Amino acid sequence: MGDILGGLLYISAFSLVYLKKAYDHCLELGITRKELSNVIKSSLIFSVVPSLSIVVGLFVLIAVLGSVWAWWRLSVIGSLSYETMISSSIAQVLGYASSAEMLESATGRQFGVVMILMSVGMLSGFLILLPFGKKLCKSVDRSAAESGGSTWKNVLSGVFMLVMFSVYIPILLFTDNVQAAVMITGLVIAIGVGVLAKRPGLAWLNNFVMAFSMLGGLVSSLAWVRIFG
Amino acid sequence: MSKAKTETKMDSFQSWAHRWGRVGTLIVLIYMVALPFVVLAAYDSIPSLGEVFNVNTFSILLIYIPVGFSEALSYTPILGCSAYLAFITGNIMNLKLPVAANAMNLTKKQPNTPEGEAIASVAVAVSSLMTVAILTLAAVCASFISPVFELPAVKTASGYLLPALFGSMALGLFASSSSGSKVVKGGIKGVLPVLIIMTVLSLAARLAGYGSVLGGLVGIFIIVMLPIGILTSYVLWKKGKIQVVDKEQKEK
Repeated sequence: MGDILGGLLYISAFSLVYLKKAYDHCLELGITRKELSNVIKSSLIFSVVPSLSIVVGLFVLIAVLGSVWAWWRLSVIGSLSYETMISSSIAQVLGYASSAEMLESATGRQFGVVMILMSVGMLSGFLILLPFGKKLCKSVDRSAAESGGSTWKNVLSGVFMLVMFSVYIPILLFTDNVQAAVMITGLVIAIGVGVLAKRPGLAWLNNFVMAFSMLGGLVSSLAWVRIFG
Repeated sequence: MSKAKTETKMDSFQSWAHRWGRVGTLIVLIYMVALPFVVLAAYDSIPSLGEVFNVNTFSILLIYIPVGFSEALSYTPILGCSAYLAFITGNIMNLKLPVAANAMNLTKKQPNTPEGEAIASVAVAVSSLMTVAILTLAAVCASFISPVFELPAVKTASGYLLPALFGSMALGLFASSSSGSKVVKGGIKGVLPVLIIMTVLSLAARLAGYGSVLGGLVGIFIIVMLPIGILTSYVLWKKGKIQVVDKEQKEK
């Protein structure tokens, strides 16, 4: 327990140092305190709903791995989808019908296998990030310089995000009716809030378009599951 | 070419973040890998090498290793120097990346610029602290609040976080690829082949009854599709089909 708390304190301290450095640098770059305050408020509110979803995952994982290890995994490095998927995959490999059965019957050494594999499985991203992170960030500039035109950088900067969306959106739209309906609902709410934000006195809504539309999409899933489920 | 390489300089915050971000990440990695061994040694339960790494467990790792590669390759250029913090605290796709994109949208800054990376770092740091606080509260109060999070409605809704996120982000992404004082016109054309390939694949998988399998392969798809998207965008930019114009010019 002490080890876990130490790790979480380190992560919190690291985040605070990053925040202080980035905040001060934003001011140096001419970003106003008001803009920064809006970003912080919006980020805090936007983070609540996904964090609550992670809490749901935490309770699922607690049933599989116990509270301390689940808390650690979801606070540091891990992701909700990865942790839940890999723990159930390992349970199957170890010969259990479900994660819950593994919690009841697994030996200490089998839990050891789960803990080690969960830790090792996430390392691959860091094998790229640590040695090549800086190069990857500079690659956009370099590509622009090599192609002899600075405007290529503007195009390339957006391509990574567009490709990610172009991979995810067809999968979400065409493989499952409920997923498709939830996504479209979120989009419609985003458009609605965006239109409302253009009215006098409602410009503050711009800071919360994503938060409101995501929340609306999530709530709508209950109706869509009934209709399509 | 070597001259071009030397022209890509970073500002003071970017240099700081790359230096200390790496150090901080390395410390977390060592801690994270060592922790299971410390805990297991205390209970005299360290498994043998053969128990951990065998054909069955290796097949699991083979699925997750490409996902890690894909995340690093596709998310790092978007997150910039905030990537270290985002990777350490995890939940990138469902939390850190949207938060960073939202912050850049709000302040009208673009990725890969000193301003964009600094504002993304503020957002990722705030979000990380918020998540740690909420998870800590949830873990401490687990016995009191678990009934709420175990309600069927809450469980159902939380399973649809990703589509809800994409719905909320799609508008900002496709409606405007504005980046600071510049606007990219026709950027979506560069990823049309990706959209078409993924649509055909998704429909085929659904018809074959394997629709749910595709979600687990997203990491591999992104690795394969990135070069296609970049190459198509480059060709179309060269031909003038994708243009970068001043914002004022676009608004006229």
